[in-house]
Parts: sequence; C-alpha cells; structure tokens
Amino acid sequence: MAGREAVKRAVQQVRPILSVDRDEARKRALNLYKAWYRQIPYIVMDYDIPMSVEQCRDKLREEFVKNRSVTDIRVIDMLVIKGQMELKESVEIWKQKGHIMRYWKESQEPKPTDFLSKFIQGVN
Amino acid sequence: MSFTQVARSCGRFAAALTTVRIASVAVQTQSRMLHRIAVPAIGAQLTQFFTVRNYSVRNTMEEIEHRVLKVVSAYDKVTADKESRCRWQTQSVRSYSAKPPLSLKLINERVLLVLKLYDKIDPSKLNVNSHFINDLGLDSLDHVEVIMAMEDEFGFEIPDSDAEKLLKPADIIKYVADKEDVYE
Repeated sequence: MAGREAVKRAVQQVRPILSVDRDEARKRALNLYKAWYRQIPYIVMDYDIPMSVEQCRDKLREEFVKNRSVTDIRVIDMLVIKGQMELKESVEIWKQKGHIMRYWKESQEPKPTDFLSKFIQGVN
Repeated sequence: MSFTQVARSCGRFAAALTTVRIASVAVQTQSRMLHRIAVPAIGAQLTQFFTVRNYSVRNTMEEIEHRVLKVVSAYDKVTADKESRCRWQTQSVRSYSAKPPLSLKLINERVLLVLKLYDKIDPSKLNVNSHFINDLGLDSLDHVEVIMAMEDEFGFEIPDSDAEKLLKPADIIKYVADKEDVYE
C-alpha cells in the first residue's frame, strides 16, 4: 500500500492546461503573436484610435516581452489563453475604444521616483 | 385662356410628370438588375445547354421533345468533343494576373531585399548564410515578423512547423523555391 502511494507520488505530474512541453507552449505564444500582428491594422481601422500601426506593434511586442521571463508551461498557457480572449474581444468589437487605449495607460500617473515628489504625494 | 384650358394643360403636365417618374423607376430597376448580369459563370454555361423555358406559352409536343433530347445529348457527351472545346476555351484565356515566373536568382534577390528593408537587420551584416538569431541578433518575435514578411512577399502561408526551421535566408530561399517548383 505504501509502495503504491510512493510510486503514485513519483509518477504524479501536474496536469497540463494545453501544452505538454516547452516547444508547444512556445509555438502557441508565437502563434498568438502572429495573430495579433496580423490583426492590428484592422483594429486600428475599426476602433479609430489615435495610434499608428507601428505604435500598436511596438505595444504588442512590449506586452509579450513583459512576460519574457515566464518559464512555467502552465503559466505560459494561461497567458496565451488570456491573450486569445483579448484578441477575440477586439476582433468582435466587444471592446470599446477606451479598452484598446488602456494598453497605453494614458490616464495613469507614473509613480513618483525622487524623494520630494514622493513626499508631496504622500507615498513612501 | 379659359378655365378649362388651364385645367387641361395642368392635366397634361401631370401626365408628363408621371411618365417621367415611371421612366426613372424603370431605369432604377434596370440598374438594380444590372448586378445579376455578373452572376457566376455557371449560369452562362447552363444557358448554353438549356434554352430559357417560357411558361406563359404552351409548347408543342415537338418543341418539348427537341428540348429534352438536347438536354439528354448534352449530358451524354462527356466525350472528347466536349473536352476539346473546354481546352480550347482555357487556352484562349490569357490571365495577366498570374505571378511572374520565378527563378532562384530572383527569389534570392527578393528575400534579401525584404530582409534589407526590415529595420532591425543591419544590411552590412546580412548574408545568405547568416543566422537570424545568432548572427543578426534577432529574437524569436522578430523571427516571426520576418517569416510573416516573407509570406506577404511571396503570397502564400508558411505553417508554423516549417517557419521554425527557416533560420537563415538560404533556408527561406530553398523553401520558397520548393513551394513554387523552381529548380534552376
């Protein structure tokens, strides 16, 4: 009985979400990048945002590079699924202009860095 | 001018107006029907075999017989006669929208031009055998972009499984040549 449990624990693996190895996860991520890259001109056209296609592509790359250091396959899968959901929302115009512009965080104040502005804003 | 005259001329004017309106309506319907001329070629082919059936006129027995025989004969003739006519038709059509004939040299030039125009590649380092990631310093996302640029340039889709093997310009040239059946 104890032996069987030990075997089970040794063989036990984390259940994969979509991908079973790193190559597959990487392929999914690159596929998502490709889909977004191809969709961007249409997004710019449909949503009439004050950004050029190049700016949007830079932002797309930024969003991907942000998660560059993720190594867990399940986390990568989850991020890819989220990216697909966002793509679907943009393609079907379930989003609105503001949701697209939210990627640029125009309405967010950058956090203060030097002492005085931190002091004035009451942030330590 | 008497009252009756005025009334009559008014009536005439109204009549003229209505005819104009009817004419314009007819023109509109005609222009609306115009798009139906451009229906697929199947329709045009069908009319070759079937004459237009007119239900308002009662056909004589001979006419019906003639028509049926014509249809049957059209179905029967899956022979050399019909095929030769088709071939002749396809030969007579020259498609000017076809791709220009490719050669290995041309593919080479086009691939290198696309890569030179890509802003993250230094044209001075570019070589047919330079590795995208190791020699030219691109990352995997840049590589995906390069492959997409190649898809746009040559007008066909490169599946992911093939795309990840195309790590040098020489690989791309070879792949495109294989796809387009270019051997010299």
